[in-house]
Amino acid sequence: MFAIYKKELLQYFTSMIGFVFLAFFLVIMGIFYWTLNIGGGSGNFEYMLGSVDFLFVILIPILTMRVIAEENRQKTDQLLYTSPVSITKVVVGKYLAVFSLFTLAILVVSVYPLILHHYNSEVQLASAYSGVIGFWLMGGAYIAIGLFVSSLTESQLIAAIISFIVMIITYIMPTLTAAIPSDGKSQVFIVAAVWILICVASYSAMKNVFVSILLGIIGEAVIFVIYGSNSQVYDSLIIKVLNAVSISDRYDDFRLGILEVNSMIYYLSISFLFVFLTIQMIKRKRFN
Amino acid sequence: MIEVKHLVKRYGKHAAVNDLSFKVDNGKVVGFLGPNGAGKSTTMNMITGYIAPTEGQILVDGVDIADNPKVAKKNIGYLPEIPPLYPDLRVREYLNFVAEIKGVKGKKRAEMVNEIMTRVKITDVSERLIRHLSKGYKQRVGLAEAMMNYPSMVILDEPSVGLDPGQTIEMREIIKELAKDHTVLLSSHIMQEISAVCDEVIIINEGQILTIDTPQNIVEKMNTNSGLHIVIKGEKEDIKNALRTIPEIVDVKYDETCEENTIGMTLYTRNGIDIRETIFFKLSEAGLPIMELEREELTLEQAFIRLTGEGSRQFGGKKKKKASRKKDSSEEEAEDIVDEAVEETDNDEENENGGNK
Repeated sequence: MFAIYKKELLQYFTSMIGFVFLAFFLVIMGIFYWTLNIGGGSGNFEYMLGSVDFLFVILIPILTMRVIAEENRQKTDQLLYTSPVSITKVVVGKYLAVFSLFTLAILVVSVYPLILHHYNSEVQLASAYSGVIGFWLMGGAYIAIGLFVSSLTESQLIAAIISFIVMIITYIMPTLTAAIPSDGKSQVFIVAAVWILICVASYSAMKNVFVSILLGIIGEAVIFVIYGSNSQVYDSLIIKVLNAVSISDRYDDFRLGILEVNSMIYYLSISFLFVFLTIQMIKRKRFN
Repeated sequence: MIEVKHLVKRYGKHAAVNDLSFKVDNGKVVGFLGPNGAGKSTTMNMITGYIAPTEGQILVDGVDIADNPKVAKKNIGYLPEIPPLYPDLRVREYLNFVAEIKGVKGKKRAEMVNEIMTRVKITDVSERLIRHLSKGYKQRVGLAEAMMNYPSMVILDEPSVGLDPGQTIEMREIIKELAKDHTVLLSSHIMQEISAVCDEVIIINEGQILTIDTPQNIVEKMNTNSGLHIVIKGEKEDIKNALRTIPEIVDVKYDETCEENTIGMTLYTRNGIDIRETIFFKLSEAGLPIMELEREELTLEQAFIRLTGEGSRQFGGKKKKKASRKKDSSEEEAEDIVDEAVEETDNDEENENGGNK
């Protein structure tokens, strides 16, 4: 695992992506830090971090796009998966390498509150650093998603575009959910429509018309029976589900300077889930 | 030792590898021969654990790769068709990485990397970026990767594809060198290459084994009844008259020649009898100089026809039709001389000739 980790980091700095990432990240950080905290005279560092979370949408896809896609394209995956190292170790090693690079950037950034504190002792370091921790873990979650997307394709460009789309959707999720009607009736129709889509997807995976139609009919029946017996179940269900996948929304607690354990666990679970999915994705490929 | 039992790999309904069973004994160099798409790479990918078989079992030194991949993979070095190189790393960096993931620890690593680099002769490029290496060097770096941590078995997928003739010969030397202390399984679609280095040849097509034999036996089987290509200087009539006196010739096919005043032809003899000496004396008697004399080298496709026998497999059958069609047209061309030649010899031979072809 350590070998993979070292190789990944080495490649970041032989291929310039590492330098470009660090430079871009720190420049944007610096500009916001300057305009909001120093020029704007605000002591809330955590608030500033909340305003630059759009950086993830732009930078994480660039950071993660090549991690697995490039191995697939250059067939170097044949070396990795035929060597006596488990796929889990390969993927975890890769994840940790990307995360370390990101952590390096965060370490530089975590000096900033100290500078503020140096000039004004009223600046709250505790809330500033809870913001940094939240920001750090949020980055970890985005990296895991990018890693997973990278394992789906052989093309860096496609990996970057898909990651970008996925991240932008989670980023604007609060705006999207506000547009969805929250009453039970429209919610149940959305759920029914989603179920039909799932059944269509299941047909394309299994090529079995009978099973898919059966699944569809049973599923729809269950959905409407539940709605008939208790119509309140569906109230703002979709909105709740969609908000749960809104990664940037979870930062709100940290923005207020609260070290929210729930949100930390949420970020860690997202990271864990997508690293796990990446491992499964690669394992599945062996059987195709 | 590699043992493959009833290996099957299906992609949807198509079987890329269909019930393959064979054994590679310790210390042997075994060649995997077949046309493109025969299932060579798929089989090798399964043996090395890169893809999982649909059915069947693979034992590496008695260890099932499905049950204990870590142990099995440790005993195998693999050079895939496209060498798995990172273009943005230097050769030494790359080999250090390979050594590390193969579990070579600490001080031993640098030593082993140096040793292997010397062995495959890449020490002079050790500090260069892999991206800047020539194809031949890349292939050797790939070979160094496969040899790392000295596995007991080395699997090479078309190791000399894309190399120039000089590099191909060098690669063969390296493989021969490798074979001294490794069991080697290598694939190729070139018969000559396989016969130059292998103790045993497994010929596969469409995912199935056609033959397992020594290269000598296979070459022998292939060379019986192969034609004799000859270019003679002189008038057509004189040459015809001279050849008529050799009763063993049963079929003649005219070839094009690029030299003026010469006639090129391919001669087929009864039961593949060697008539090179007879031809030499007869023609020199007639004062007709031989410009070229060469045994016809069989292509892989023709070899398959020979090896599969009469219509036993789909592939052989298909090709046979094509081959016989070719023969028809050549027979037409050569009709006059053949007929004349046969008339003067024996009628029985004509029948035999028909049976042979």
